[in-house]
Amino acid sequence: MAVALSRCLCRVLTRQAAPSSFLLGGHHHAVQSPWFAPAMTLKTSAPLRAEPKKKKKVDPRREQVIRDRLKKKLKKLEKVPPELIPIEDLIIPTKCLDETRERSAPRLPFEESEGRALLLKEWSRYKQEQHMAEVQAVELALDAQREALEELKLESEELYQAALKPDPLLFPFTHKGPTYTPPKTDYEAPDGKYNDITKVYTQ
Amino acid sequence: MASRGLVRFVSRVSSSGLRPLSSTSVCRATLQNKHVTDKATSPWTLMAAVCLQRLPVISSDLSPIEQQFKHMLSQMELEKSMLSDHELRLLEDKERMSRKQANDYDSDDEDGRGDQDIVLTQDLEDSWEQKFKSFQPAPRVRADVDENLTSPERCLADSLLLLVEQQVGGQKMWLLPQTQWQEGETLRQTAERALSSLSGAGFKATFLGNAPCGVYKYKLPKAIRTESSVGTKVFFFKAILSDSSRPAAPTSPFLWVTKGELQRYLKPAYMAKVDRFIPQV
Repeated sequence: MAVALSRCLCRVLTRQAAPSSFLLGGHHHAVQSPWFAPAMTLKTSAPLRAEPKKKKKVDPRREQVIRDRLKKKLKKLEKVPPELIPIEDLIIPTKCLDETRERSAPRLPFEESEGRALLLKEWSRYKQEQHMAEVQAVELALDAQREALEELKLESEELYQAALKPDPLLFPFTHKGPTYTPPKTDYEAPDGKYNDITKVYTQ
Repeated sequence: MASRGLVRFVSRVSSSGLRPLSSTSVCRATLQNKHVTDKATSPWTLMAAVCLQRLPVISSDLSPIEQQFKHMLSQMELEKSMLSDHELRLLEDKERMSRKQANDYDSDDEDGRGDQDIVLTQDLEDSWEQKFKSFQPAPRVRADVDENLTSPERCLADSLLLLVEQQVGGQKMWLLPQTQWQEGETLRQTAERALSSLSGAGFKATFLGNAPCGVYKYKLPKAIRTESSVGTKVFFFKAILSDSSRPAAPTSPFLWVTKGELQRYLKPAYMAKVDRFIPQV
């Protein structure tokens, strides 16, 4: 609307200007009235005469683009890789590097060291026998199960299929392992207090 | 061995259902027929038995070589280790005592805490020793409980198996609790029924899976054998005792036996089959 108005104004001015200059003849420095300003005194250049600039949309967009670019640059600078959480087991505490704590290493007599070497060999043999026995026992149990399933298949197909189905209620299965002494039936454990000083790291 | 493997492979392939249509329909028909014929004329009676185990409660005693090795390991670890805080304190105390006993002792030279003279580290050790002795743990082995074969708390270091005395074909014998399979239930349900009915209420067990762990089949003596009943197949299911509460009134005599004592109670052929899936511990 403003564009139309300005366009009208321009045309009005030029129309007004043309007859007035003709009438006045040489009066080029015409009457300086705002309403009848001749077109030639208006600084008209090609871009001005063209459609007026839409400043309202382009500028905010440009500014936005500039701001985004700056923000991206800031983010890149601020991007620090997160500090790795230290694994406390792998850090040797300074207590262990203390020299005053070293034990005087005893000199073992020859028989002692020989005895130790022989015992180690016996132990490896014992453990190997144990392992072989375990593996054999497992194989035997698996054989027995396979035989049972084959017999069941010969008997009835539906029972066999029912036997093959996994049991969803079995897991999670927990069982307390053996301790050194059996639990006391009438033992009341005393209440204890403890301060938890584990370090919690957040990234 | 190879042929057996091939047969198994073929059966697995056929069961996966990747065959052309014509053969599937034929096979399905034959399966159905087989199923019908099975239902009608299976000459074997099916029974399910439960192999209920009480797992060990305490660790077993060390064998001689294990004891020797344990001793040697502890010595080696001690030699390779460093002095702990407690040991350092002991050494300091010893040094201070020796310095006190020396003639030219000046207590002003001492730097450090004054209260270290009041509570020596050795005294601390003695007090800890006293506290440890004041706690009485439960005894590991109780001979009277071990003798009682019906108690599930005997022989805490071994795993025990439940045996029931049942009448089978006119003869009373000790075996794992078993009952006959009924229509409409899976074999595992039969085993659960066997456990709850035969050994009295109160044994809470966790059954390990739906598949049987072993089978024992025997044919009836020739006199009784007919077309429809040739023999019996007993399928065993493993279970672990989760809570040993006393049964209110046992319906039939039962025993808890270790693997070594099994031979005394079970028949040899039965024992041979059962032995395979019962673990040593």
